[in-house]
Amino acid sequence: MFKDLADFAVKYALKKGADYSEARLEETSSNSFIMKNGIAEASGFGKINGLGMRIIKNKTLGFTSTNYLNKEKIKKLIQNTINTAEKASKLREEINLSEEISYKNKYEVKQKINLNDVSPEEKIKLLFDAEKELVNTKIKIPSRYISLSDSTTTEYLTNSEGTSITATVPRASFFYLLTVEHNNKTSQRIWQYGQTGGFEFVKKWDIPLIVVNEVKALQNNLKFGIKPPKQALDIVAAPQIVGIMVHESGGHPYEADRIIGREGAQAGESFITKEMLGTRIGNEAVNVVDDPLIENSYGFYKYDNEGIKARRKYLIKEGIINEFLHNRETAYCMGIKSNGSSRSVNYNRESIVRMSNTFMLPGKYSEEELIEDIKLGVYMKNFMEWNIDDKRINQKYVGAESYLIKNGEIKEPVIMPIIEITTPQLYSAVDAVANNTEYHAGNCGKGEPMQPIPVWFGGPSIRLRKIRLGN
Amino acid sequence: MNSEEISSHVLDKLLKAGADDVIISVSKQDSSLIKYSNNLVNTTKTWENIDLGIFMALNKKIVLTNLRDFSLRAADDVVDKLLKFVKSASPNKEYAGIAKGPFSYKEIEDGYDKKIALLGDNAIDYVEKAINKALAIGAKRTAGVFENSVADVSLLTSNDVKARDKGTHSYFSIRAFNSKEASGQKVGSSRMLNLLDIENLAEEAALISKQSLNPEHGKFGKFDVVFEPLPFANIIDNLGMAMSAFSVEAGLSCLKNMIGKQVANKKITIIDNGMLKNGFGSSKFDAEGVPTQKNIMVDKGILKTYLHNTSTAKRFNTKTTANAGLLSPEPTNLIVNKGNFSKQELFEQVKNGLYITNVWYTRFQNYNTGDFSTIPRDGIFVIKNGKIGQPIKGIRISENILTLLKNVTAVGKMPERVVGWEVEKPVVTPAVLVKDVNVTRPAD
Repeated sequence: MFKDLADFAVKYALKKGADYSEARLEETSSNSFIMKNGIAEASGFGKINGLGMRIIKNKTLGFTSTNYLNKEKIKKLIQNTINTAEKASKLREEINLSEEISYKNKYEVKQKINLNDVSPEEKIKLLFDAEKELVNTKIKIPSRYISLSDSTTTEYLTNSEGTSITATVPRASFFYLLTVEHNNKTSQRIWQYGQTGGFEFVKKWDIPLIVVNEVKALQNNLKFGIKPPKQALDIVAAPQIVGIMVHESGGHPYEADRIIGREGAQAGESFITKEMLGTRIGNEAVNVVDDPLIENSYGFYKYDNEGIKARRKYLIKEGIINEFLHNRETAYCMGIKSNGSSRSVNYNRESIVRMSNTFMLPGKYSEEELIEDIKLGVYMKNFMEWNIDDKRINQKYVGAESYLIKNGEIKEPVIMPIIEITTPQLYSAVDAVANNTEYHAGNCGKGEPMQPIPVWFGGPSIRLRKIRLGN
Repeated sequence: MNSEEISSHVLDKLLKAGADDVIISVSKQDSSLIKYSNNLVNTTKTWENIDLGIFMALNKKIVLTNLRDFSLRAADDVVDKLLKFVKSASPNKEYAGIAKGPFSYKEIEDGYDKKIALLGDNAIDYVEKAINKALAIGAKRTAGVFENSVADVSLLTSNDVKARDKGTHSYFSIRAFNSKEASGQKVGSSRMLNLLDIENLAEEAALISKQSLNPEHGKFGKFDVVFEPLPFANIIDNLGMAMSAFSVEAGLSCLKNMIGKQVANKKITIIDNGMLKNGFGSSKFDAEGVPTQKNIMVDKGILKTYLHNTSTAKRFNTKTTANAGLLSPEPTNLIVNKGNFSKQELFEQVKNGLYITNVWYTRFQNYNTGDFSTIPRDGIFVIKNGKIGQPIKGIRISENILTLLKNVTAVGKMPERVVGWEVEKPVVTPAVLVKDVNVTRPAD
């Protein structure tokens, strides 16, 4: 790794008049394998080497990046960035960073089985095994798309305040899109698994079992599914649904850069304002946290991309809006310290406020206890379609694997139950939280240019009272 | 070594090692972006990157990789790794090769503008003008980006293709706000700076924003909807993904088994044109080096073809449409042919309907059937007896993409060029009127 180059870049920017400079050097190697309808479509491996810099001059922020890793190129880019910052100063937002402790540290996510020690053959075999098991079900699955990817990233972050963090994070993910057909009707599911760590986690997922369970549930829903009841009823939302709910409406609106309007053009703003801190958004049973420190999580980090020590953030505490996600810029705006939520997906992206692993904390009930006193309800295990408006109020989740609950028991499958609800309605309807926490992986989209970043979202099953399902 | 020498070196070595097909692409891109919000520039960004991509097929085993270090040693290392990697890869029995050259290419008209290449810091002045224009119209806040890039792409293949294309791109977006709930957004894209009317975009965004003050909660039901080009482009972009032969095979398409069948109203004709003058997605050649062309995708509502590369075309017993994508064929510029109506004339055809100026977060319940929903944002207005009235909020379009396209009853005559956050592939479309659009909302 060209750490010297990053150190040089930071010093050179100061020499050229920068008030603050920061360099992030990235080295990533990756592998990916795609299988489509039982055929190994393609394999690939790749490398990323590059440097990204943030430079502040006269309270104007400039970002520059390159993968030409030589001093002359970097000197030119720094000079250009400073010139542009000077020109932009007539129209600039005044950038100030909160004062923070500068850390020097090095960390690595350990692997029991190194991702790079596993042959492509062995990785592809997992996909063939999944295909074989899918065929063995005898279920009609006209489209089967499965992919397996891994990457190992080492990044070195240094800044003009003395920060020096080196992190090595291996990451693996598995994605599928399955289409099941029955009586000329189809049903689909897309889902993803992802963790940081070694190949041991890929083995543990049991990919063949995951896809087989998925197609069995889809077929069962197609064969025996009934329309959901029209009257108001109770819903038990399982961890996958709770995960996406808290990510969309319990995580995104708490991003301080949205709150101050910085993402207004595309990713949107937030219905939450600074003044709403300490006010109620939901029932006391609701606790939502964002925590980058969960070992082997997809969104794991110990220091964020500004070198701030990561910690758990309580976004909603007992139903009260408690804390926002901050980087140093938004923290300064609100007169506080950063809580370590600044991330960028690659060297060529500016670090901005992001979630890491966002989930609802478990309650005291078992999932069975949530179900047992429901007279008429729906159990939604997972979903396919979902969306939310750009202020994070109006959201929709359409159940995939779902069942009717009658007199405390799970009954026949239900076809596409739709929860269409506002954020305050959602969190106020939660009356009980189970203790069966699960985490699920996704790539959260934000930023211009777009930077899809690995996150976990999750939680336990929850019970929502008196919900009218949509059409 | 320079990128040309490295490309030849890698190609030779791979062919000597037994590769059947090789494609080497070198992409050099210099770009800049100004991001602004609350009427101020948040950050200026610049990028200078180079990437060499390698595609190799050996005994139908397909492996892709890249190279960022242009030294001879790094090139030899990547070739060694590629040959080792391919040994344990599995064959793609359906793979049917790449295009055979040589080809001759035509220049893209209005594809390169020196003014964009030399714009530099002056981009800030454009942003300033746009913000000032929106504020002068009455907007309170603005947010957006102004992005400019110069790209130089070279292609070398084992099938006698040697090609190069240089292009510039300029993209501007502006979202004007009059309150937290009142906003308007416009985007513009061009290969030529003087064809991008930034101040006009700012004015239009500000006008929508001003009009959308004090929105009421919308109602659910079936409505006739006038879609601005921006939201209709979002729907067409999703249709474009469904047009790819790869999507058809992977289960990502509602157009499977639909060739020759009606997929849209007969008023709808959709062209994919990789040679479009000033087209944001125009390039001289596709990823295999085939000269791009004009393809009629939907002719008066009838689906004529999927988007193909050489390999998918052979599987579907047809010819490539010059839309490679090495794995997945993709649209270049999707053009919805214009109709006869002014926007005012579209409104006049609506007794009780909605005017939607933007949507976002389009997601599918089933790509195979085309069931989806999307969320209108920015100005949403009731249309009563042909006139735009009360702004509304809090609604969702929950529809089937084929039903929606079949229900287009009138097509506008003023096309706009749309690309952006959710419209990943460029779309050129006018406004349209669609009858009986299903609108849902959260229960009270």
